[in-house]
Amino acid sequence: MSELSYEEARAELAAVVEKLEAGGTTLEESLALWERGEKLADTCQRWLDGARTRLDTARTERAADPG
Amino acid sequence: MTEPENGKSTPEQPWPVRVVSQKLGAWIGRLGWVWVDGQLAQINRRPGTQVVFLTLRDPSADLSLTVTAHRDVLDLGAPNLSEGARVVLHAKPEFFPARGTLSLRADEIRQVGLGELLARIERLKKLLAAEGLFDPRRKRRPPFLPHRIGLITGRASAAERDVLTNARRRWPAVQFRVINVAVQGSGAVPQMIDALAVLDKDPDTDVIILARGGGSVEDLLPFSDEALCRAVFACGTPVISAIGHEPDTPLVDFVADLRASTPTDAARRAVPDLAEERQRIAQARTRLARAAAGLLDREQHRLDAIRSRPSLARPELMIEGRAADVDALRQRAARCLAHRLAAGADELSHTMARLRALSPAATLQRGYAIVQRPDGAVVRAPDQVTKGDPLRVRLAGGELAATVAES
Repeated sequence: MSELSYEEARAELAAVVEKLEAGGTTLEESLALWERGEKLADTCQRWLDGARTRLDTARTERAADPG
Repeated sequence: MTEPENGKSTPEQPWPVRVVSQKLGAWIGRLGWVWVDGQLAQINRRPGTQVVFLTLRDPSADLSLTVTAHRDVLDLGAPNLSEGARVVLHAKPEFFPARGTLSLRADEIRQVGLGELLARIERLKKLLAAEGLFDPRRKRRPPFLPHRIGLITGRASAAERDVLTNARRRWPAVQFRVINVAVQGSGAVPQMIDALAVLDKDPDTDVIILARGGGSVEDLLPFSDEALCRAVFACGTPVISAIGHEPDTPLVDFVADLRASTPTDAARRAVPDLAEERQRIAQARTRLARAAAGLLDREQHRLDAIRSRPSLARPELMIEGRAADVDALRQRAARCLAHRLAAGADELSHTMARLRALSPAATLQRGYAIVQRPDGAVVRAPDQVTKGDPLRVRLAGGELAATVAES
């Protein structure tokens, strides 16, 4: 799952939510969809957290060494 | 003393000096009278003599000739002649055997006036323009940040100081290679051409500034020199010209890759302003960080919005919904069963009422009796029995046995 890019994960997440909202799935399917959605959302969040860390690190380095 | 017969010298029969001298004189004399254009480098009026010695230079090249003229010739044609003046003279080459020297003897000298010089420059300007030396497409852009700037200018001149000071103020680490030259008078053009060649060959010098402060029209004449213009055009390194003040436009300004109005302007054009560049970079960096942070924030909002949708945020809903369905069904089932039970009870009581309505008990109560044979058959007529038959008599209060006495 971690090999998904942020955009791929987000697109799939949106699709999963749409499917869940549309209904018409069995309970088993709904649960599986929800679990998938949670995983995808976690992947997205990991990407965003990583990006923010990199941004903050770059800024800190910049502040420490204004060359 | 034998004169050579056949005009050929040999180791056995070398020519005496006087013969060589005489032959040289003859050869030189063959040129005859010519009109010469040149610039006066020196005038030597020796007191007590009628002959004036002049040094005539080529304005564009490091070449000169000695000219002698009678004082009258000078007084007649160019009485106010001074060094640096442009002259046209009518002269004949002469060889002086006594010292083996060569000079031109002039019998007419005309000073070329400023008007004529400017007219010549105008003609040259048209010629160079026609040849494409001013073509904007031929001009090269000086580098944004030069490794080293070649500077051709007068020694300790204001122009030199202006260029160096302003360039260093803008970009403190700027490197210069300065070549000081004469920027006016005879010798200026060849020195500048030499300096251009030296700087053009220097691989580290990637832009050349040709600078001179303000001056009279005559002072700036070297910068309209054809040879200099062609040298600037041929120069492989971009050249910035900064000659005189704003209104001065010597021809080299048209040929140069970039024309600066003053030496200070040349410095401004040759190097970027460090502080300004730093500020630009800082601004760009700020925008970059802001853009990146903005993007992250937007994406975080999108993700938060998706995650807060009930289908993801409250997965229990899908179970609760189904539990509610089950409950509802269960209640429907219970309701349905209760209904059926009530209906059954109702029907039963109806049936009981009908049963009661059909019962003979009420009739018996009024005193009637039912007579039955032992086999249970109801006796309705006397011929149904014979004497001695046992009978059962059913009354409201109970039963009794009887026997037929007579039929």
